[in-house]
Amino acid sequence: MSSAPSPFPPDQLLFAGYDPGTFYDELIAPSGLPRPCAAAMYENFASMPLSLFEERRQLADLSYLVQGITFTVYSDGRGTERLFPFDLVPRIIPRSEWDVIERGLAQRVMALNLYLRDIYGPQQILKDRILPRNLVYSCKHFRREMVGISVPRDIYIHVAGIDLVRDSRTGQYLVLEDNARSPSGISYVLENRLVMRRTFPRAFEVCEVLPVDHYPAELVQILRSLSPRGGERPVIVLLTPGLYNSAYFEHCFLAQEMGIELVEGRDLVVADDIVYMKTIHGLTRVDVIYRRVDDDFLDPLAFRAESLVGVPGLMNAYRAGNIALANAVGTGVADDKAIYAYVPAFIKYYLGEDPILHNVETYLCSDPKHLAYVLDHLEELVVKAVGESGGYGMLMGPSSDKKTIETFRERLVADPRNYIAQPVIPLSRVPSFDPAIGGMSPRHVDLRPYCLYDGEKVTIVPGGLTRVALQRGSLVVNSSQGGGSKDTWVLRGDE
Amino acid sequence: MMLSRIADSLFWIGRYMERADNTARILDVNYHMLLEQPPDTYKLRWDPLIAVTGERTRFYKTYDEANGQTAYEFLGFSEENPNSIQRCIVQARENARTIRDRISREMWEDINSLYHKVVRLRENEDLSRFCDAVKRGAHRFHGVCDATLARDEGWHFVQAGCVLERAEMTARLLDVHYHQLVEGPSILNEARNHLWVAVLKSVAAYEFYKRQYTHIEPTRVAELLLLDARHPRSVRFNLGALQSSLHAISGSVPGSYANEAERLTGKLLERLTYDSIEEIFDGGLHNFLTDLQSVCRNIGEQITRTYFYYAVVA
Repeated sequence: MSSAPSPFPPDQLLFAGYDPGTFYDELIAPSGLPRPCAAAMYENFASMPLSLFEERRQLADLSYLVQGITFTVYSDGRGTERLFPFDLVPRIIPRSEWDVIERGLAQRVMALNLYLRDIYGPQQILKDRILPRNLVYSCKHFRREMVGISVPRDIYIHVAGIDLVRDSRTGQYLVLEDNARSPSGISYVLENRLVMRRTFPRAFEVCEVLPVDHYPAELVQILRSLSPRGGERPVIVLLTPGLYNSAYFEHCFLAQEMGIELVEGRDLVVADDIVYMKTIHGLTRVDVIYRRVDDDFLDPLAFRAESLVGVPGLMNAYRAGNIALANAVGTGVADDKAIYAYVPAFIKYYLGEDPILHNVETYLCSDPKHLAYVLDHLEELVVKAVGESGGYGMLMGPSSDKKTIETFRERLVADPRNYIAQPVIPLSRVPSFDPAIGGMSPRHVDLRPYCLYDGEKVTIVPGGLTRVALQRGSLVVNSSQGGGSKDTWVLRGDE
Repeated sequence: MMLSRIADSLFWIGRYMERADNTARILDVNYHMLLEQPPDTYKLRWDPLIAVTGERTRFYKTYDEANGQTAYEFLGFSEENPNSIQRCIVQARENARTIRDRISREMWEDINSLYHKVVRLRENEDLSRFCDAVKRGAHRFHGVCDATLARDEGWHFVQAGCVLERAEMTARLLDVHYHQLVEGPSILNEARNHLWVAVLKSVAAYEFYKRQYTHIEPTRVAELLLLDARHPRSVRFNLGALQSSLHAISGSVPGSYANEAERLTGKLLERLTYDSIEEIFDGGLHNFLTDLQSVCRNIGEQITRTYFYYAVVA
């Protein structure tokens, strides 16, 4: 680690003229110098001329293209494959900060799981009037069919993706939303790391970055433990909606990494409440399904009849206890955006603990007082539809025109239960390459760690997916809305 | 344990890659041979080429005349032609994409790169470069499969798709050209030789032929393309390879069969092994080749029925 002066003129270097501005910058302190956690990376990157960085950037892009790491957008009617933009400057989290996040997430996932067991079981939390009954029953993703059914080892949420943001004003991490159905994005975490290691091997020699590669092994171990037949080698499959699903790459990737079969609905049949897959030598019994198909489409006999990607009879096999599903059916009643407001209360109620990670202040439009406040302050707030994800059905008050705001006002009045509102959080930022200025510029980020629950403990691969709003000034990080991603480095220590 | 759907995709990856390769070969060789021909032979020579691919009817729906330009467009990258080279590569890639968890990373990256390359080249419209990229791509595909795939059922399904396609294509190539050259309008002997050379070159058998025989003679060309046990593009060679792969999949021992596809393959292979080319000519080459192509199609259907789309009785 020598600090020999760079042979390149200073104005052509990577961080030349970088101004972190008034938001919290994850890497660069207000003084313009790197934070302790970023010092080693900065030294390694800062001496790089822009031309070399640009060359590496193109190589990385090419590697994503050749591997076919793309997602599909449907706006043009044909379903075009696009690269998920990847920014080469990593987001870095010091260990002591990560330890707090990790404990906070574990606590939250445990509480959400206990809540689901309660809601689909005794419903004590409703009887104790901690949570309004109608809020649960009116939730789009509440599955009556699941009440009174026991699931293997009492696990509902095997995989959760919890979205975190750092509030620039306080420097605190906040939970923005929970994803308890089938959160996607982990394949980008693993591929981004692979590409970064290939592109900047030197940086990994000097920065002590915690590995993430063990995720598939952890997940498959949990899946294996769910098998209703037990045994050494249960048959585990990943159920995908198919090639045209936007997360199809991820489904392939995970199936391959876990060494399990990737199946579509048409590969499976149910007979006498037992699930089989069609192989070249006849039918083979299946024990565990890691499903990446939404509840609604899982079984045309139980849910939406028009579903072509599901398996007729699957719910009967599930009820009979002959097949395990991960995540369980009905977990959407835990990640509804109105239920979200009560998660701190769940932590208190089920675990008797104070929440380690706090929620963003949330107004439930189903509450008339909250609704009145929201309608008066639409220009300042973010409004979200409770059952949506991926940045759809959302109003960003401060950046919307009058017409859009008025449309939302009407929707809120017509169907208040369907909306929540939150103040706009000034998200923290990370230096990112801006092709328009040919240099580094700060961009807003969030963080989605992936949590695995095995019935006893929560395992989280260090870091997660850092999503970045690549448009200048934008606070929306979803890939469908022009966001990209970064590699996330959790360090072995604090610097 | 292999899913039927995956076996189906692997089989078709093999078929589509082979189809793209074969089409590129006949297109390329023909183009180069014709550079030295008088212009009035053009019609004679491009029309059979379309016939070889089995898409004559579709071709004349779109074009009035078969010439270098229209044949290249139609066989190279037409969206109208489901068997154009580009469509084949698109299909091979789509199939590979749906099962990329089951093939090697190298195999996927290779097919995916070929796809991107062919799509880019198309804008260039240089026939030779285009065909060359496809042929090289196909060779690399075989190399990557050989070097990175485990020799399980999956590999045998890719193989089965390749060799069945190749056997059928060679038979069709011979049929169409023989028909034109021997029974068609009379052309100069010199030109005729020239064209048989083109046929041999399009299956990469010209050098091998010259070592076996002294001069170009239709019967001997047919003998090599049909009955030779050593050349990797002869029908017999490919049916032998098909039999080995089918047996490996079902576990049948040599001399027996487990399903209709194996029975038909064995029966056809028997003829190609023990019939002489003279005996085949006595019965009429065209009849023999028509029969052969229909058996090949039937074998494909039987493989589908046995392994991919069987009725489920739970």
